[in-house]
Amino acid sequence: MLRDAALVAGKDLRIEARSRVASNQVAPFAVLVLLLFAFALDPDRGVLARTAPGLFWVAVLFSGLLAVQRSFSLESADNARDGLRLSGLDPAGIFLGKAGAIVVQMLALEVILAGFVTLMYGRHLHGPAILIITCVAATAGMAASGTLYGVLAAGLRVRETLLPLLLLPVVAPVLLAATRASESALDGAGSEAWPWVRLLGVFAVIYVTFGILAFGPLLEEA
Amino acid sequence: MNATSRLLGGAALISLVTTVVLGLGLPPTVEQGQYVKFIAIHPPLAWAAYLSFGVTAVASILYLVPRTRHRRWDHIAGASAEVGVVFTALTLVTGSIWGRPTWGVWWVWDARLTLTALMLFLFLGYLALRRVAGDPDTRARRSAVAAILAVLVVPIDHFAVQWWRTLHQGQSLTMTPQKNLDGNYIAVMLLGFLAMTLVYAWLTLQRYWVEELEDEVGDQGLQNALAERRAEAGAGAGVR
Amino acid sequence: MRYVGAGYGISLVVIAGYAVRVVTRARSLRRGSR
Repeated sequence: MLRDAALVAGKDLRIEARSRVASNQVAPFAVLVLLLFAFALDPDRGVLARTAPGLFWVAVLFSGLLAVQRSFSLESADNARDGLRLSGLDPAGIFLGKAGAIVVQMLALEVILAGFVTLMYGRHLHGPAILIITCVAATAGMAASGTLYGVLAAGLRVRETLLPLLLLPVVAPVLLAATRASESALDGAGSEAWPWVRLLGVFAVIYVTFGILAFGPLLEEA
Repeated sequence: MNATSRLLGGAALISLVTTVVLGLGLPPTVEQGQYVKFIAIHPPLAWAAYLSFGVTAVASILYLVPRTRHRRWDHIAGASAEVGVVFTALTLVTGSIWGRPTWGVWWVWDARLTLTALMLFLFLGYLALRRVAGDPDTRARRSAVAAILAVLVVPIDHFAVQWWRTLHQGQSLTMTPQKNLDGNYIAVMLLGFLAMTLVYAWLTLQRYWVEELEDEVGDQGLQNALAERRAEAGAGAGVR
Repeated sequence: MRYVGAGYGISLVVIAGYAVRVVTRARSLRRGSR
């Protein structure tokens, strides 16, 4: 299973390295969202600095949507999805591979966004250990649930509008927990972040487990 | 079948009307004034919303488990979800209307209300997925999985939202201060729970029948189309 | 204020309206499939 996962993840990441969609489109989109928040909220009154973690995670969430859409549109052309089904790869491995590729891309994006948040919103980074763990746990959960809903909606013509409606309500607690954990870390109250990090962990475990179990059958029908 | 439906409908109507009459007749309290009357409808509506959601989840599981698989579970899941949207929306509306004179704002980020709002969107996504055209069995399987994915997140939502709101406000900001109310109020509220449960059951039954009928009509349409094709093929062969 | 009336009223109207919608649909389906 893990070998197949590495294979699929490698494939998705190699496609990304060649097409550069995540770096040339998704990342600018994410920074753009941060910019738009500055227009929407008054940068002079400290609102941005105070709400920086929340804004960061909202930007990550929306970018995550794009990443999931992209992950599944990779196989929509030339019957590539059939190829994936017939390839004999372990479906659980395909799930982990696809989700894993999304995690890698999103973590890279989060590093970039963190930099911009520090720059643009004036919120300085503290508690790096907690922030890193939060990012990993939150991203894993997002990628797992995103990959599940992605395959669920994969063959549908309305995928582009349906996926956000399906995924965002489910990922809402990740936003909540990640923001609270980040806030605690940035405020220097690191110990308060742990319940939230645990929640993120539980979320990730649940959806990764479900994905390992259900991805195969779902792929058959996509 | 129709006799049960009529009995259920009658019971639902009677208990609902009784609840409304008794609810409106509840004496105002010191803390809430006359707005305490919402206790007869808002918590019962919320209960019905959660019940709908639960039934959709269970029916979805029953559909997916091979031993119990039957299209009727898919129909129940879909029917319960649509009825659930109605109750969820009403929960939010009555919660909002209750909150306005009580707290002075049209919305409070109280844990229960926030959770209910999330549930509404989970429901809406599920219903949107159901409307996608396609082979009924594929559609049923897809919807069932979506329902389970949605249910998995509800306990997480519950804890997340609860912790989030108690961080800042403690438990004081709840809309149903049941601790301070005496027997009368609780009794009417419980009647309300019964009434909404019956209303939910009756509505879901009707909606379920619509699903079954639409399924039949769909199958019938397919049969008719096939018969027509065969007739054409037969006529064509005859002419040649 | 008549917030109470609005709350009760909306609930009853919506439930009744939805009930009518569903029952009507069932009726028309039963008629149509014959």
